[in-house]
Amino acid sequence: MSVLRRIVAALAAPLLAIVAAIVISGLVMAVLGVDPFEVFAVMLDFGDTPSQQVTALVVILNRAIPLFISGLAVAIAFRMGLFNIGVEGQYRLATVMAAAVGAAVVLPGPLHVLLIVVVAMAVAAIWAGIVAVLKVTRGVSEVISSIMLNFIALGIASFLLTGPFRGSPEGASIISTAEIPESGWMPGLNGVFDLFGLANPPRQLYGFLVVAALLGVAIAILLNRTRFGFDLRATGLSPSAARASGVDARGMVVKTMLLSGAVAGLIGIPDLLGTTHSYTTDFTAGLGFLGIAVALLGRNNPAGIAFAALLFAFLDRALVPLQIADFPSSVVTIIQGVIVLAVVISNEVARRVALRAAERRSAQAGPAPVASDGSAGPGQTTDGGGAGTGAGVDPTTGAGRQTDERQGTGA
Amino acid sequence: MPPEDGATAGVPSGEPPGRGAEGAEAPLAVELRGITKRFPGVVANKDIELRVRRGEVHAIVGENGAGKSTLMKTLYGMHRPDEGQILLHGREVHFRSPGDAIAAGIGMVHQHFMLADNFTVLENVVLGSEPTKGGRLDRGEARRRIREISDAYALGLDPDAMVEDLGVGDRQRVEIAKVLYRGATTLILDEPTAVLVPQEVDELFGNLAELKREGLTVIFISHKLDEVRKVADSITVIRRGTTVGTADPETTSSRELAEMMVGAELPSPETRTSTVRDTPVLELHGVTVAGAGGRPLVDAVELTVREGEVVGIAGVEGNGQSELIDAVMGLRDVATGTVVLGGEDISAWSTRARREAGLGFIPEDRHRQGMLLDASLWENRILGHQTRPPAVKGPFIDRRGARADTERIMREYDVRAPGPDTLAVALSGGNQQKLIVGREMSAQPRLLLAAHPTRGVDVGAQAVIWGLLKDARAAGLGILLVSADLDELIGLSDTLHVMLRGRLVATLDPTTVTPEELGGHMTGGRTTAGAA
Repeated sequence: MSVLRRIVAALAAPLLAIVAAIVISGLVMAVLGVDPFEVFAVMLDFGDTPSQQVTALVVILNRAIPLFISGLAVAIAFRMGLFNIGVEGQYRLATVMAAAVGAAVVLPGPLHVLLIVVVAMAVAAIWAGIVAVLKVTRGVSEVISSIMLNFIALGIASFLLTGPFRGSPEGASIISTAEIPESGWMPGLNGVFDLFGLANPPRQLYGFLVVAALLGVAIAILLNRTRFGFDLRATGLSPSAARASGVDARGMVVKTMLLSGAVAGLIGIPDLLGTTHSYTTDFTAGLGFLGIAVALLGRNNPAGIAFAALLFAFLDRALVPLQIADFPSSVVTIIQGVIVLAVVISNEVARRVALRAAERRSAQAGPAPVASDGSAGPGQTTDGGGAGTGAGVDPTTGAGRQTDERQGTGA
Repeated sequence: MPPEDGATAGVPSGEPPGRGAEGAEAPLAVELRGITKRFPGVVANKDIELRVRRGEVHAIVGENGAGKSTLMKTLYGMHRPDEGQILLHGREVHFRSPGDAIAAGIGMVHQHFMLADNFTVLENVVLGSEPTKGGRLDRGEARRRIREISDAYALGLDPDAMVEDLGVGDRQRVEIAKVLYRGATTLILDEPTAVLVPQEVDELFGNLAELKREGLTVIFISHKLDEVRKVADSITVIRRGTTVGTADPETTSSRELAEMMVGAELPSPETRTSTVRDTPVLELHGVTVAGAGGRPLVDAVELTVREGEVVGIAGVEGNGQSELIDAVMGLRDVATGTVVLGGEDISAWSTRARREAGLGFIPEDRHRQGMLLDASLWENRILGHQTRPPAVKGPFIDRRGARADTERIMREYDVRAPGPDTLAVALSGGNQQKLIVGREMSAQPRLLLAAHPTRGVDVGAQAVIWGLLKDARAAGLGILLVSADLDELIGLSDTLHVMLRGRLVATLDPTTVTPEELGGHMTGGRTTAGAA
């Protein structure tokens, strides 16, 4: 009962937000003279043959993996009340460096992959570390510095790609780094489809899916079950109380940003190891900004972020079919934007509802006469269900304001 | 449920002087009847009774946190009271927003100025109610009206000066002009002198006299009793969220007001059997905390707390007590001097190391420093004890252990809440404070820093907390107690120091000192140890 209530309470806000977003974007489409039902039909159409359908699933999953990682990177910082808007620059710079290092060496398979991953994490962590150092030593707002560093990172990445790291021949239309040798590729997971008797599509499901899933579990444990996670969340809920409790605020800023950056460094890895094997001028961009929306929709909770990443990946996949069907692909952007707005609003509403409920219950327990204090306690213990939803929402909604602006420029 | 007229609500007040006859014929500008306002966790105002006559300066005094600002926000329409009536000039009103209050002629001058620095005086004054001509700001009209107001009340404002070029006193006058511009006949000034230097205070009082002469009503909120007595025509005292009486500034001394404010008649637990042992737990040697303006906030404090001893620090708020506590906790850098805990110099230790070494901490502002309001009680149990069992196992949080121990604290310390998963914000102030006390005691500290341990809690919780502190003291705990409640200090302390402008200026024997004497020392009126 109590568990059910907790789940319902936790899901109500995002579900409501998504429904509202579908309705609103449907109305927008109708106003623009596009039939929303046809658009939704195209988006939901995964193809006719089993092979096409599985391919669509693979496309969605492959896109969801980096979005999930990006959402995690943002959420780690959000949970501490830090806005790491610099995920975009962190992963782009990390990926170009990792691609170059990966191409430059030949190692036995697993080691080669590990090296690429470690380089990516280290580069992104260092880049995020600059933000942290600026904040703790000079008091620079991480929002400002991480946005600024995005431009620098993208500039450096372009310079490296066109200059020292260029592996493509002169005059090629797409400039790329040298290709990573096959020992540094990560095998796909398509064997799984055979296992379930599904059609084996031509496209490979990224092997990095396993790493991402483990990463999600690890971060969930880190945030919710460890002392470090407690310090981090406490700082997010109340910096002053956390400090009085003995949390080293500056140290936490540095550690959290390094961690957030290290995770951000992994965003480009699934594509790099799975398909492209090199960093190119048309390497997937914008994942860092989408990650902010994903974290927001997932309420900074790894399980929620996974769902949010799948949803955004689903929307992303619809881009090509929509264009083929001659619909404006901007409807996807509209839906994404409306979802973010709706989530911000519904999170705040859910927070207030939870607070009211908590107050009411406490008011019932409150006026108990002084003498009979024990009676108020155990009998109502199960009622604490709403509590879980309220915690951690505050930084989420605060983050929302930032995200709206970023969505505008990022998407 | 309208309470009968003239009743001093609820609390057994010592004296309600100055109440009575004149209320009948003189029209009241503002009358509050039985106002009660609850917030999640606290009852901020309870059965407030306030009667302000037209054309007077009416002061509302009370300690910080007594509920003055909440009351004024109610009157200004920033929130609605849960119970009670507001009457303006005899008619009941219901404000849904400050806009309604402004329309009814109530204006608020906030403690923190709400001015746009890069706008001129004129622009700031008209902001939000601009006179327009053909859709554009009518500067001529605005300038004329501001000049009119400035001249009528001797505010001396130049409409075209930039606000960023103005001094604090001028800015305050701009705020007053803003309110008058909107046609206010009743002005609320929230701690207006807090930001002013003495000359500016005199100027402000001059302005208030002008306002009064023109027939306006001023409600003046303060806790500076001397100023209140100088400027007010009548005084209402608030303590613990409720009005405890009114006073006539002509016939009431600052001391009597202070007693009404802190509630000198409240029973204080006497702890006369000394449990002081020889071993010192905390020694402060020449502890100095640097201040922004050159004058140190804490100035060469020498202090020893022994096992089983309660050392009280009395002082008017803002004389360095908070900074001293922060310095001992490691939340503020010590410029010179050493902090010694149980024989070890901990001056350079982190807050966490100090806590692990046996420092317990009851902060003065529990919402800011003591709790995570949006987290559950069991998570709050962990706060400050992240490195010690039962809350943690190695690097992991022990949820089960934390929940079980929270239930124990709730039982033993009488924290009334539905369960350990309840959000802290849903608890009343007293229950939150009992949870904090229970949490800090559970770690078996050697020294407890207790800053205003019973502030903002109801009388029942206060008695419980006093009892807990007494028991802990008997068990050998050293306690450094900072409080604004003189009876709490005198009743609990074994040694009593007085802090004034960052220095310990007197050491008193709590068995013989009276609140009056103590008050004298606190304001620097009496001197013993050669303080200038």
